[in-house]
Amino acid sequence: MDKRKDHELLREAGKMVDRCDRCGTCLPVCPLFGVKGVEATSARGKNTIARALAGGGIEPTREVLDVVNFCLLCRACVDTCPAKVPTDEAMVDVRQHLTDLAGGADVKYRLIGGVLKRPGVVKAAAAALSILRRSGLNGLFPYGMAPEEYTRAHFLTAFAGPAALGQKAPPSAVTVTGRTKVAYFRGCGMEMMFPEAAAQTRDILKTTTSLLVKQNVCCGLPHLAHGLREEFLSLARQNIRLFEEAEVVVSDCASCGATLKHLSSFFADDPAWRDRAAAFSGKVMDLTEYLEKVGYLPRQKADVVFTYHDPCHLVRGQGITRPPRELLKAAGSFVEMKEADVCCGGAGSFHVDYPDAAAQILEKKRRNIEKTGAAVVVTGCPGCLIQLAKAAKASDGKFKAMHISQVI
Amino acid sequence: MITEEIKQKIRDIVGTDHVLDSELNRFGYSYDSSFIPLLPANKPDLVVRPLTTEEVSRVMVVACEHEISVTPRGAASGRTGGSIPLKGGISLCLDRMTRIVELDERNMMVTAESGLRTIDLYNHCAASGLFYPPDPASWKFSTIGGNVAENAGGMRAVKYGVTKNYVMGLEVVLADGAVLRTGGKAIKNVTGYDLTSLFTGSEGTLGVVTQALFRLIPMPKRRGTLEVMFRTLDDGCRTIHTMLQSGVVPAAAEIMDRTCLEVVARHRKTDLDPEVGACTIIEIDGDDDAALETQAGRIEEAAKTCGAVAFRTARSQQEADDIWAVRRGISSAVAALAPNRIGEDISVPRDAFPEVVRRIREISEKQGLPIAVYGHAGDGNIHPSILCDLGKPGEEERVHHAVDDIFAAALSVGGTLSGEHGIGITKRPYIVNALGDVGVRTLKAVKAALDPKGILNPGKIW
Ligand SMILES: Cc1cc2nc3c(=O)[nH]c(=O)nc-3n(C[C@H](O)[C@H](O)[C@H](O)COP(=O)(O)OP(=O)(O)OC[C@H]3O[C@@H](n4cnc5c(N)ncnc54)[C@H](O)[C@@H]3O)c2cc1C
Ligand code: SF4
Ligand code: SF4
Repeated sequence: MDKRKDHELLREAGKMVDRCDRCGTCLPVCPLFGVKGVEATSARGKNTIARALAGGGIEPTREVLDVVNFCLLCRACVDTCPAKVPTDEAMVDVRQHLTDLAGGADVKYRLIGGVLKRPGVVKAAAAALSILRRSGLNGLFPYGMAPEEYTRAHFLTAFAGPAALGQKAPPSAVTVTGRTKVAYFRGCGMEMMFPEAAAQTRDILKTTTSLLVKQNVCCGLPHLAHGLREEFLSLARQNIRLFEEAEVVVSDCASCGATLKHLSSFFADDPAWRDRAAAFSGKVMDLTEYLEKVGYLPRQKADVVFTYHDPCHLVRGQGITRPPRELLKAAGSFVEMKEADVCCGGAGSFHVDYPDAAAQILEKKRRNIEKTGAAVVVTGCPGCLIQLAKAAKASDGKFKAMHISQVI
Repeated sequence: MITEEIKQKIRDIVGTDHVLDSELNRFGYSYDSSFIPLLPANKPDLVVRPLTTEEVSRVMVVACEHEISVTPRGAASGRTGGSIPLKGGISLCLDRMTRIVELDERNMMVTAESGLRTIDLYNHCAASGLFYPPDPASWKFSTIGGNVAENAGGMRAVKYGVTKNYVMGLEVVLADGAVLRTGGKAIKNVTGYDLTSLFTGSEGTLGVVTQALFRLIPMPKRRGTLEVMFRTLDDGCRTIHTMLQSGVVPAAAEIMDRTCLEVVARHRKTDLDPEVGACTIIEIDGDDDAALETQAGRIEEAAKTCGAVAFRTARSQQEADDIWAVRRGISSAVAALAPNRIGEDISVPRDAFPEVVRRIREISEKQGLPIAVYGHAGDGNIHPSILCDLGKPGEEERVHHAVDDIFAAALSVGGTLSGEHGIGITKRPYIVNALGDVGVRTLKAVKAALDPKGILNPGKIW
């Protein structure tokens, strides 16, 4: 990779973090600072280190890479920051810069990156998983830690019962014309980890439209987050091309959705792709956002209490909080949990790299879920779902974790 | 330099996990929220995070024996460089000491450890209907130890006073490791010197505060928030003045100028009425809605006679919180407007507020530097923020002139250098102007008596 470009990235990051006033407003909201308490784990600490790196005050060492890697990219800090410093973006840029300096991403991420990039991967989920397992990488979507599958069928037997099933919610009032071309974006995490939920998403979408299903490639977030920027851009171009005919692209994965919605900004100074990327980003919708638009009503109202966990990439990545809650209220009863929008500690492969910190964050989450007394915690992101399923297991059956498609 | 042997002694006291000496961890404790440049970094040699008073005391014994500098640190939200370890040594970070030792409801007092966040103290007391009023804008992240050490003020100072008005007693570890307890729960207390007051506002130079005993008051039953827009800052100041004269004492009365409002509008993606040049945010409290309505009515009247262009009452807690969040975030939002921001914290007699603001405008024009102004209009505490780019040739000198002029303006109307942020490093050069030779000599005498080796937070205040 050419050096000029690396330094551009660092300069870019430097510009972002230069706006940091070191005020400390972000300290109490960063989940990592919450469990570690050491300055360098906080957003302020990481930004200041990035700033000193850009200013030539500290050397680009392995320790610096560790610091910038130790970030959930959850944007809790950005949300509360009075100067709106984009800590997450700065961390990604610095990661990229440091990996480029070191001559390429960590072998581990390169491998995962390779696996997820292969176009056939989503279709051949099983094959991909076996590669993942063979390479000893429980990386991004750690199969070994995966929850036992809890399917919609289980859900209906457990909570809906014959009586409940009787009170089916009335069918959706909105008629979607065959002319609206709605496509489904198959996310790697959903396909590999929660194929049943992904199938439910498609079933739901089919009740509203004649669905376009494409053999898309990975959204590229895992690559981007770990210093494989070129791969990220090439994946993005493939997806943009692939969905050109669709008018709406629906994602049931918060992370894919957020990444795709932000693609345009990565092509802002690429005249060949700028407009196509902007057009693409403009048509991406989260599943719940789309369902609200078309006035979808859940297929049943069950006698069950739900609570909801906001995926970082939905609440802060896309500003979506109401639609999923409204859907849950229509599908059962709903209680809000404390700190619903605090990161679960999953954050892509963060929980594999830093199991202790992730476990401490998840423990807090589990207590908050249990306090609601809800039987099911629902979310809209496979990454979170993995974490929540672990929490469900630790709760000894007090609650289950499910994707929203499985319960509405 | 701290030898490996000394480090080991300290690790034995507080535990290995709580002693940090890697390059980046030391860097993490080299700055605070002041405008002191990050580089070259003022790194401590060692970061020590004790959990108990006893650990603090034992660490101080080691430091004293080896004459190692110790700089106490809370959340490093200080604005004047107070927690920056100028001479290296130990950064003694109290943020693990977060216990609420006792809430004594009958005497309406609370005892807490110094690393507790201000808001956590407030919430804990509020749950029992008790009110801890000092609320620096940084209250969600600042520690009570830092508040005591800086004698922090807040929005509610106009009606309820500042931190020192609530400190009844302290537990302080002295430079040699001895543990001193001052004050107590007796409301009247003239036994010996008033050491509690001496340590309050001492900026970590006289001792390490490990616990504080605060008095509380009953929580006001109702609160309301008003937002009033004006054409000029002068109109806003006059309103607050008129209101206070007419006997309405709001719990808080904040003011901000057009520059501040523009940043807020930009962040919220809203448009700012071109007519608006200043905004005041007022909190009122009382026993019932009727009491609030009376106050709000009188404030509205005062505002009208002073030319208010818009008047809004928050209709829900959410709306009130939103309005206050804007005020609390102003400082950092303004800072992001320019490559560098030099924020000051002058305090003047209340009636001199408009005069000083006018002079700041003149200084801004004279030096060709934008200066955003916001502050606690209710108590005369102003935060002028000079927006500049120190990288530009000649800029630094202009900034120095502007700062000198701002301080001169404050002193000339009977004001002072710092209302609440302390002197730290940034205002050191000006302290003689404010206190005179005798004043500074007296401070030094106190310091020498309590910390003869000069190991506590060296290089600060004068
Ligand atoms: C956005 C923002 C808004 C602010 N608003 C206000 C405001 O409205 N009013 C106000 O008064 N201040 C305000 N401040 C300044 C700052 O928050 C206060 O001075 C606060 O009291 C500092 O607390 P801290 O825990 O961060 O202390 P630090 O910054 O860590 O330390 C401050 C000083 O106290 C000493 N110290 C800290 N803990 C102890 C201890 N346990 N024993 C002895 N010495 C100790 C340190 O050595 C240092 O000299 C603001 C700051 C920011 C960033
Ligand atoms: S990132 Fe934002 S909130 Fe955090 S210290 Fe910097 S300016 Fe303050
Ligand atoms: S993105 Fe999340 S984990 Fe990363 S610094 Fe911000 S709050 Fe902390």
